[in-house]
Amino acid sequence: MAWRRFRRNKSGLIGGAIVIFFILVALAGPYLVAYPPRSYQSLYEGDAGDPPSFKHPFGVEISGIDVFSETVDSTRNDLYVGLAATLITTLIGVAIGALAGYFKGAVSDILLGVTQMFFVIPVLLLILLFARVFSILVFKGLGLTLIVLILSFFGWSGIAFIVRGETLRLKEMEFVQAARSLGARPFRLLFRHIVPNILSPVIVIATLDIAGFILTEVVVSFLGFGDPNTSTWGLLLNEGFPYVRTTWWVALFPGLAVVFCVLGFNLMGDGLSDALNPRLRE
Amino acid sequence: MASLVRYVIRRVLFMIPVFLGVAILTFFVGNAAGNPIDLIRAGLRNPSPAVLKALQAYYHLDQPVWLRFLYWLWDLIHGNLGVSISGRPVLSQIGPWTFTTLELQVLSLVLAVAIGIPIGVFSAKHQYSKVDYTITTVAIFGYSMPTFWLGIMVIIVFSFYLGWFPSNGAVSVSYPWWGSWVLDPIAHLILPTAVLTYVSLATIVRLVRANMLEVLRQDYILAARASGLSERTVTYRYALRNAISPVVTIIGLGFGAALAGAPALETTFSWPGLGYAFTQAALALDIPLVQGITIVITIMVLVANLVTDLVYAVVDPRVTVQ
Repeated sequence: MAWRRFRRNKSGLIGGAIVIFFILVALAGPYLVAYPPRSYQSLYEGDAGDPPSFKHPFGVEISGIDVFSETVDSTRNDLYVGLAATLITTLIGVAIGALAGYFKGAVSDILLGVTQMFFVIPVLLLILLFARVFSILVFKGLGLTLIVLILSFFGWSGIAFIVRGETLRLKEMEFVQAARSLGARPFRLLFRHIVPNILSPVIVIATLDIAGFILTEVVVSFLGFGDPNTSTWGLLLNEGFPYVRTTWWVALFPGLAVVFCVLGFNLMGDGLSDALNPRLRE
Repeated sequence: MASLVRYVIRRVLFMIPVFLGVAILTFFVGNAAGNPIDLIRAGLRNPSPAVLKALQAYYHLDQPVWLRFLYWLWDLIHGNLGVSISGRPVLSQIGPWTFTTLELQVLSLVLAVAIGIPIGVFSAKHQYSKVDYTITTVAIFGYSMPTFWLGIMVIIVFSFYLGWFPSNGAVSVSYPWWGSWVLDPIAHLILPTAVLTYVSLATIVRLVRANMLEVLRQDYILAARASGLSERTVTYRYALRNAISPVVTIIGLGFGAALAGAPALETTFSWPGLGYAFTQAALALDIPLVQGITIVITIMVLVANLVTDLVYAVVDPRVTVQ
């Protein structure tokens, strides 16, 4: 039913197609490109700093990195950050939101307070600070997974809010009361009866969150707080920015990849939102 | 009125634990970066033992970490943000940066609201028209773009290629742009403001459009139309008033998000504000400065949220009743 509605939504379909395209690029990446990740081989071929050509479709960095290979290789890593962080934050957000919405009293108040706190604080600054301190001094060698963990730590409040609101609404409804009068325990009620019924807003928010986490990772890497040994779009932009006056292609193409990937997830999220919440449609 | 006052008090009280939470996170993570004296020492030639001892006492390094946190918090509450590793007091460094950051942020926000609301209303009134499709497409691109990347592209085109505007800084060093020191800051302001306005605009347009669509479908709009009111009155007096309150929240949250996004945008334009300074300080592990900027931005975000809540309460008095 939802699929039939989604299928009629043109922009949602375009978004889905873009997302599938990026997933395919991520999977087929190593077979599509001429150079391995973070390889300076073009330097030895005398192509360093070359503009886009047939051999190097997106041009070459001054340091000798082939931008096309690097952009393709980054797809896998950026999708990993977006998907992994979304998976973790969705689990945390659903758990905290459901508990805060279902129970009354001090614990629920504290959970709500913590959620509100994470919602209003300027998380990007803290993400940068955490990334800088932890990558250098505490957890060396975790690479992108460290970024995933930091993004997850700061990124769950949106989902928690939605889940809390929906739980508050659902817990007084007849089907929940019926299950309760049959003797279902609170946890069974929550995770067997309530949570399955709020999955559709969760799916929508999660899709949009993937886009958001990818954007945040790009910012983190662009500013030089990411993992310098893993190909990401943000790292390419970071390397390209100082030389942008001469080698504009290093900044243009990875940025376009970010825009279209994020656009794909955003369009798909909007499409899913229309398909799963038909109330909003005419 | 009494309920409004109680509401304000509740919101202000809520700010205290949030502020403490940020203070705890920044202090302990900053602390994990290592011994501040080692970092200062790297910048000193042959520091005398007396200097080291004074620094040790200044940072209370002989005390346990939680006590150091309390010292730090005590100083913070008294407006003392400490001394950055360059040796200058953090607070006096932050002052001018705060002004340049707010100049850019507030100008963009005002422009985005002033332009975004009418565009969103227009788009909703002409749903599924060609103009509506164009507006929503342009908006969703703005929503999907890293702000700093758009900044780089704009610099390439308008600064490097066309040479119309400067690419970095808030004022020129030697020669003023457009031949005048009065126009020079304006020339510097145009590109970053335009980029930030477009990105904030995208969110506002999307939200106004979605809310207007929902409100325009309500029965009381039909009733208002049926009673012979002009389309203009129906749209702006009846529909927009009810569609605007969620927008107020988003504007407040968006201001916070834009402030937090300042490091990337300001780095792109070398804009001498809090964000650029934050990036440089964090890369140099100048922890006192990083902590100070984080605290100042947090305070600005909290105040912006408070103002938003107040505006919301005035626009929609129902929220003051718990």
